[in-house]
Amino acid sequence: MNTADDSEGASRRWRPRAVAVGLAVLLLVLLLVPAVTTPRFLTLDNARAILASAAFVGITSVGATMVMIAGSGVSLATSQIATVVAMLFLGPQHLGLWTALLIALAAGIALSAAQGAVIGFWNADPIVLTIAGGFAIGGAATWFSGGSTVYPAARGFDVLNATPLGLPLAVYVLLAVTVLVEGTLRRTTAGRQMYLVGENRAAARAAGLPVGRVTVIAWAVSGACVALTGIFLASFHTSATVTLGGTLTLDAIAAVLVGGTAISGGHGSAVRTLGGAVLISVISDVLLLRGYSTGVQILVKGVLVLAVVVLVHVRATRGRR
Amino acid sequence: MSPSATDSPPIRVEGLARAFNGVPAVREVSFTVGAGEIHALCGHNGAGKSTVVKMLSGQLAPDRGRIVIGGEPVELRSRQAAQRAGVALVDQELSVVPALTVLDNMLLGDLDVPFVNRRRKAVARCRRILDDMGLERISPDQPLSALGIGERQLVEVAKALGQNARLVILDEPTATLSDAESRHVFAAIRRVAATGCSVIFVSHRLTEVLELCDVVTVLRDGRDVATHPAEDLTVDELITKMLGQTRRPPSAAREPGRDRAPGLRIEHLRVPGRLADFTLTAQAGRIHALAGQLGSGASDVLRALAGLHPGATGTAELRGRPVALGDPVGAARGGIAFVSGDRKSEGLFLGKPTAWNLVATRLPTLGRAGVVRTRRERRTARSLAERSGLPERWLDEPVVTLSGGNQQKVFVGRCLEHENVRALLLDEPTRGVDVGGRAEIHRLLRQAADAGLVVMFASTELEELLDLGDVIVTMRDGRTVRRYEGDTDGALLLRDMTHGPGPS
Repeated sequence: MNTADDSEGASRRWRPRAVAVGLAVLLLVLLLVPAVTTPRFLTLDNARAILASAAFVGITSVGATMVMIAGSGVSLATSQIATVVAMLFLGPQHLGLWTALLIALAAGIALSAAQGAVIGFWNADPIVLTIAGGFAIGGAATWFSGGSTVYPAARGFDVLNATPLGLPLAVYVLLAVTVLVEGTLRRTTAGRQMYLVGENRAAARAAGLPVGRVTVIAWAVSGACVALTGIFLASFHTSATVTLGGTLTLDAIAAVLVGGTAISGGHGSAVRTLGGAVLISVISDVLLLRGYSTGVQILVKGVLVLAVVVLVHVRATRGRR
Repeated sequence: MSPSATDSPPIRVEGLARAFNGVPAVREVSFTVGAGEIHALCGHNGAGKSTVVKMLSGQLAPDRGRIVIGGEPVELRSRQAAQRAGVALVDQELSVVPALTVLDNMLLGDLDVPFVNRRRKAVARCRRILDDMGLERISPDQPLSALGIGERQLVEVAKALGQNARLVILDEPTATLSDAESRHVFAAIRRVAATGCSVIFVSHRLTEVLELCDVVTVLRDGRDVATHPAEDLTVDELITKMLGQTRRPPSAAREPGRDRAPGLRIEHLRVPGRLADFTLTAQAGRIHALAGQLGSGASDVLRALAGLHPGATGTAELRGRPVALGDPVGAARGGIAFVSGDRKSEGLFLGKPTAWNLVATRLPTLGRAGVVRTRRERRTARSLAERSGLPERWLDEPVVTLSGGNQQKVFVGRCLEHENVRALLLDEPTRGVDVGGRAEIHRLLRQAADAGLVVMFASTELEELLDLGDVIVTMRDGRTVRRYEGDTDGALLLRDMTHGPGPS
């Protein structure tokens, strides 16, 4: 009980960090040993495959990291936004690639930032709001497309499927997005304010920090990332249906959580989320190479998320209580 | 109204003592409460009232001494144990659940609720208790959220009075009530006492105490210094006993007069249900103290100015520029820095390093084009730490690892040397701060005032008010009572803060 009454002032009670690092290392070893002993795992082609499969979800999850750090929890409307963006990207292909890109990005940012504004300025609950928002956006997508597949009028988007140096373009975009988001979080005023708002929203409000604005920025960046994922998905599939987004929402959240970002906000990093996305890819890859079914892959993903969340929780609470 | 069975008092407290981390809060307190007696516990802040109440209601275990109920020494290890021993408590904080109905709240935590709840009987009992309290207008089936804050408090009192207890303790039950509501509570207390139940009444409103109670026990510095029949006491005598003989020597001379920069002008500030009407012009360079007990509205003045009361109305001008009420971002931009009384949940970013906390509100000034310049940030954090008396090696430690006093230094330090800040508003600036830390924080506030800031703080502690306040405004029931310039007497302040149900 007298944790903070220590007369010396600063005390050393961050031992749980060491425990957490130990557990994380143990987890990595448990993963790496079966991985390295799997035939064909340690090949260049396989490494490319891992990165390629991490790219689509990875871009969205890096953006979602920012939302989670800023204390808004998660967006459950992600795959719907990606679907709408994909349609809005393929639909106006006849206007040229760049116009289509701009329209798609603007739509993703606007849809996400609007939800962020309601959460940031009017204190809406993110879960409830994005469930509602997801239905509305998904419904609108079905309505506009008439439930049928959207085909592009031109194939300018094919350049997005390029594979310079043998890696899909999306992988480079993932790396660029990670660097940008990490830089924003660490070095900018807005990024620092995101950590503060996520750490203690009431304190941020009482201090006069621009809680609403910061929340909107986080959601706008996240929207841009979702839009990029939507654009790549559309290019990859060369058409868009209402189910294009698939399980993107939960896959992205899983990657953020496996990266060790606290769901309550205030802690986390984009680089770690990238690690989380790659880790999930590696595991899926190993299971695939060893001939396990998709069901087992998903099951293992679930167990991994649970393990990391428990780990993060232990680290976050031991020091305080 | 005098106690009937004095030979064997039902409640006896013998030599209670309790310390926190080696600091004694209660040194030795003994008193007895007779059957049907309404017994007041009076004392200034820190005299040990709350600690005694907590020990009697099973929330704290005494280090020494014992509690005797009905001739039997009892050990109260929890609130439930106290309840079984016949002790019912009405707490300072509301502990009723707004989402439930009045009836559900009454049954909540009641040990006598049978396993199979006989609803009709329960409703009838609830109705009777409410009627006894003069609450005919409240129905047992009403959700509590439909009631005002005062009515909720009345329900809480009704709940305790309905428990058929041998001892009912009321800790500041009327702090948030209007006069009419208080009268209902008093009537109910008298009725309960008439049935032979003992009552302990804790209140800062001394007229109320003398009007309601039979016997008054005065606590000072953790000891019971006097027990008197209430009819023999006047408010002034009671205040003298609470403060003791030792008068503080008047503190260092202050320079009044001098041409002061225009400061903070507050006119007709109102917060529905909390602050009736507040007007004050505070000059820069002087420290303004708002003296008021719980529910007086003193901290609401500060919260409203900081933009944290959305319903606040009135006008406020800081250096001629209007302050946006109800908008914390606007208030901060307008030059107001607010140090909340709740450091943990509304103040610091506990998991973040000291350095981050020190610069939290001035990030835009440390950057160029939205990018924080780390060297400049470091330099600023270091200079603020030095100014606030914090060793540099703590800059990278999470503030949660600092002691209460040092956390408060971080909180105050955050507002210093800030190019935007023109007014520093602090709610209970030294709550939970040790003596050494208190002196340092007072020094910081004096320096801030000397540097030309408007400094205003709300406090319930006389010593702090007298030490620090160049101008002291006493408040009660959401209204200003009086304004003092320069040195004044603690007894006067205390009388303003505690006397009577409303300002005369």
